[in-house]
Formats: sequence, structure tokens, C-alpha cells
Amino acid sequence: MSAEVVLSAENLTKSFGRRTAVADVSFEVYAGEVFGFLGPNGAGKTTTIRMLVGLARPDRGRIRIRGFDLSRDFTRAMAHVGSIVESPDLYDYLTGRENLEHFARMLTDAPSPGLRSAGGAGAAGRIPELAKLVSLEERLEDRVATYSLGMRQRLGIAQALLGAPDLLILDEPANGLDPAGIREIRRLVRLLSTERGIAVFVSSHLLAEVEQMCDRVAIIHRGRTLAVGPVRQLLVERQASSLEEVFLEVTGGETV
Amino acid sequence: MTILPLVENEVLKLLKRRRFRVVLLILIALIGIIVFGQSRIRERDRSVDWRVHTQERVARMQSWLRSGRGPTTGLRWTRFEVARLQYHLDRNMDPDAMSGPLFVRAFANVSSHLLFPLLALIFASDIVSSEFAQGSIKLLLTRPVSRTRVLASKLVALVLAVTLTVLLGGLVAYGFGSLAYGLKGWGAPILTGFRAGGDTLDVSTVRAVTLWQDVVVVYGLAWFSALAVGMLGFLTSVLLRSTAAAMGTMFAALIAGSILPFVAATWETQKYLFVTNLPLPDYYSGAPPPIPGITVGFSVVVLAAWAAAALVVAFAVFARRDVLA
Repeated sequence: MSAEVVLSAENLTKSFGRRTAVADVSFEVYAGEVFGFLGPNGAGKTTTIRMLVGLARPDRGRIRIRGFDLSRDFTRAMAHVGSIVESPDLYDYLTGRENLEHFARMLTDAPSPGLRSAGGAGAAGRIPELAKLVSLEERLEDRVATYSLGMRQRLGIAQALLGAPDLLILDEPANGLDPAGIREIRRLVRLLSTERGIAVFVSSHLLAEVEQMCDRVAIIHRGRTLAVGPVRQLLVERQASSLEEVFLEVTGGETV
Repeated sequence: MTILPLVENEVLKLLKRRRFRVVLLILIALIGIIVFGQSRIRERDRSVDWRVHTQERVARMQSWLRSGRGPTTGLRWTRFEVARLQYHLDRNMDPDAMSGPLFVRAFANVSSHLLFPLLALIFASDIVSSEFAQGSIKLLLTRPVSRTRVLASKLVALVLAVTLTVLLGGLVAYGFGSLAYGLKGWGAPILTGFRAGGDTLDVSTVRAVTLWQDVVVVYGLAWFSALAVGMLGFLTSVLLRSTAAAMGTMFAALIAGSILPFVAATWETQKYLFVTNLPLPDYYSGAPPPIPGITVGFSVVVLAAWAAAALVVAFAVFARRDVLA
């Protein structure tokens, strides 16, 4: 991999009281790839993601996004990131458009190189294009309270893309979606990474789900990364036919 | 760099959730009831000459004072009232005269105790915690905007909301007041500058100003005390992250504080509590302050100190704390 590093996490550690949720987690995400962050529920995925987007402070370790240290250069680092943490919690009482306009206004002063290269229209100017991308044009004037989970998920992705980010962080995007919804998300993720060169960080506990869409993965269990690498390489190295087998092998047989 | 787009967001969210409509409805309902009730009482009193009526009241209170029986706070309050009424009698002014503009002033005096603080809390206790309840805090704080700016925009929106609430209160009061007592009277002279000594009302500094000047000062003070409560509600909203818990805590504090002077009149330290100082427009207008020794200036300083401390803590906590749940 000679590609550019978009996100690097070094030795992230976070404890809550006596319980260590995340211990010494390190990985890198390269430009334009789909990176899977895999592990069972309670493995520390969401805690890690909360640290990646600045919602929680790591006790130790460092996060850099496009070279900007997240804790010291928060706004410049976050200008490159779009994210959905846990669930796409937009404002129920606003319409889809009002939600997008709300978050576009938050980018008015953003030091976003992506936005600048995307043209002078600014984030608000991208709303029609993004609505089309996530197939929500028809429902944009409806209140989010009336949206299905799949539609909220897509609106969340549109919101995350407003600032023309280099990195998209999606936390369990397939959770609670029907097969058609999952297929739609998978299509979007592939499209964003191949056609727009956006690095996508996807967490999931559904290994099979993610196997097909990821270029590389990290396997996390009990707060530690057990394996990091390209999907194919992991399969070959461990002589496995699926990520599930790899997972069983590295965790010593515990089921997901 | 400006936080105006962020303030626009916050105001939009307040409007879309119909907070102002609720506040306006409360104001209309409450002021309507007050005006109706008051006009019924005045109907009854109108048959008597105001001088005779006021002299009777003074005499009744004086005989009660001579008996010396009753709670200390009550006796003290009565002494103040006798002094105030006597002062009006001496100058041949009806202390209970009513007009639309006078009602506007009386409304602010009454509202500074509980109504304006409660209305301020409707906005304040929810402006931060609702983002936690909805989960949208995760989006709000993962945008390339510092947490300090996010919170500052919410603070500005809150100040705007409280300001608008106090202004709306004045307008609605004028609407109902002028229906019941007539539109005119803004230029009427009014006595102001009563100063509470320890046990007596000091009338040496009393002077007459035109009513509209007095109304401006009274609303300014009412706005200031509502704002101070708003800042404390803002802090509880940040700390507790739950609208219901924040509102409950602040309501309890307000109500406890309004009872305190009656049950613990001699406990002097309570003059440093924020609740004790809230009705400052009221004792600016001649009502006895809840605790001897409180002046308008003292209250302004105490409230400002509480508000400033609340903001310092709110910003420090908000900027640092992990967002989990």
C-alpha cells in the first residue's frame, strides 16, 4: 500500500472506571479504500469510533486525520470527516432539507479543502446533488419523523457528505436494515470509495456483510485489535474461506 | 469567523419546536385571568372614595402593628406598606390607581418572582439536553466547529429567547391592560426610589418620574433576573443532559427560594442565594425586599455573579466531557 494515509490511530486506550474498553488499538486507513472494523458487540468498536470523531477523549494514544492531530487541531481534522455514530440521529421535527441546511450552515466557516475544490456553491449548494445520490429527492420536504430507518440512514450519509470529506465513518450502518436497505448502503459505500475516492471506515459485527465490501479490515475483540490487513491476505495467511473463520481462529473459538 | 449561522440554527430549532407558541399561550392565558380577576375586585371597590379606602387600610394595618402579634416578615411587610400608602396620601396620589401602562408595570413586578424565571427555564433547561435526548449531539459535536462555539451559539439563542419572552409579556400585558383600564397614562408621574432600611421604608430618596421611564427600568430589571435564572438553567441542562431533570431541579430551587424568606426570615446568609434576589423589579418599585439590607444594586451584583459562575462551569464541562450514551 503506497496510498496516502487518511486516518491513523496509534495506541488508542480508553477505560471507564476499572473496565478497559479499548486497549492499545492501532490502525491506518488509506485514501479511497473501504476499511472494515469488525468485532462482536461490546468489543470496543463504538468507543473507538467515539474517539475517532472527538466525542470521547482517549486516555492514551493519538488520532490523526489527514495529518491533523484530532485533540490539538479538532476543527481542521474534522473538516475532512463525515460520520454517523451508532444511529443516524437527525432532528425529527425538521424536514430532510432543513436538516441538511442546518448542518451545511455549520460548515460556513469550515476550513474544508474538499469543499473548496468541489466548487464555489458551498455545502448548501450540494444538497440537491446529495439528495439525488442517496435517493431522497422525493421525500426531502417531509419531516424526518416520517422517515423509515433506511431513509434516515441515507439522510445521515448525505449529511456526512456535505463537507466533501476524505473520510466517511459509518458505525454499524447495516444495523436494523432490511436486505434491500443493506444492499443500498453497500452500493453507496462502493460508489463513494471507487468513484469519489472517499475512504470509508465501516464498523460491523456482521462479518459476512462486510466481507464483500471491504478492502481491508481490523478485527477487534475485548478492546484489542487481533488482526489488521487486506481481506484476501488474511484469508490466505490463515487458510480460511471466510472472515468468520479468521475471526474464530484469532479469538480462539469464541463465537460472534 | 462568525457564529451567526450557528445562532440561526439554534433559533430555527427553537421556533420549529413551537417553544415560543407555548410561552405566548401561557402569557395570554395567565394575563387574561389576572386582568379579569382584578377588574372584578376593582368593580367592588370603585364605590368608595380612594382616600377613604386607603386611610381605612392604613388604620387597619396600624392597629395590627400595635398589637405586635404575627410573623416577623408579615409585620415588617406591613410597616413598609403603611409607609408607602401614607406617602401617597400625603401627596394626594391614589396608590392603587390603574391604567393600561400601570398594569404593564405591575405585571413585570409580579412576574419577576416566578413567571419570568419559569418561562426562561422552558428555553434554558432544554436547549442543550434536547440534543442529548435526540442523539443529535453526536452530529453537532462532530462537525468542524469547536464545542465552545456550539455552546456559545446556544447561549446567544437563549438570551434572544428570554429577551423576546419579557417583551412579549409586556406587550400582552399592555393588550389586556388597555382593554380593561384604557390605553393612556404613559406620561403619568409615578413615585420611585423607595429604599428599604432595616426595619423601615426610607422615603427620603423617593422622587417622581414619568411612568414610561419607570417601565423601562422595571422591565430591564425583570429581564436581567430572568436571564440570570436562564443561565443557571443552562448550566443544569449541560450538567444533567435531561430536560426533565434540569427543569425539575430548577423549579424546586425557585419554589424553595420563594418560600425561604417566610420560613427563615432571620437567616441572613440567604441574601447571597440567587432566588432571594430575583424579584428585584418588585422592591425597586417599593415592595419590601425579602431580606433587610438587599438593594437593587446588591441584587444585580449577586445575580451577575451567579450567572457568570454558571457560564464558566457550563463551558468548562461542555468543552471537556465525553459524549457517551
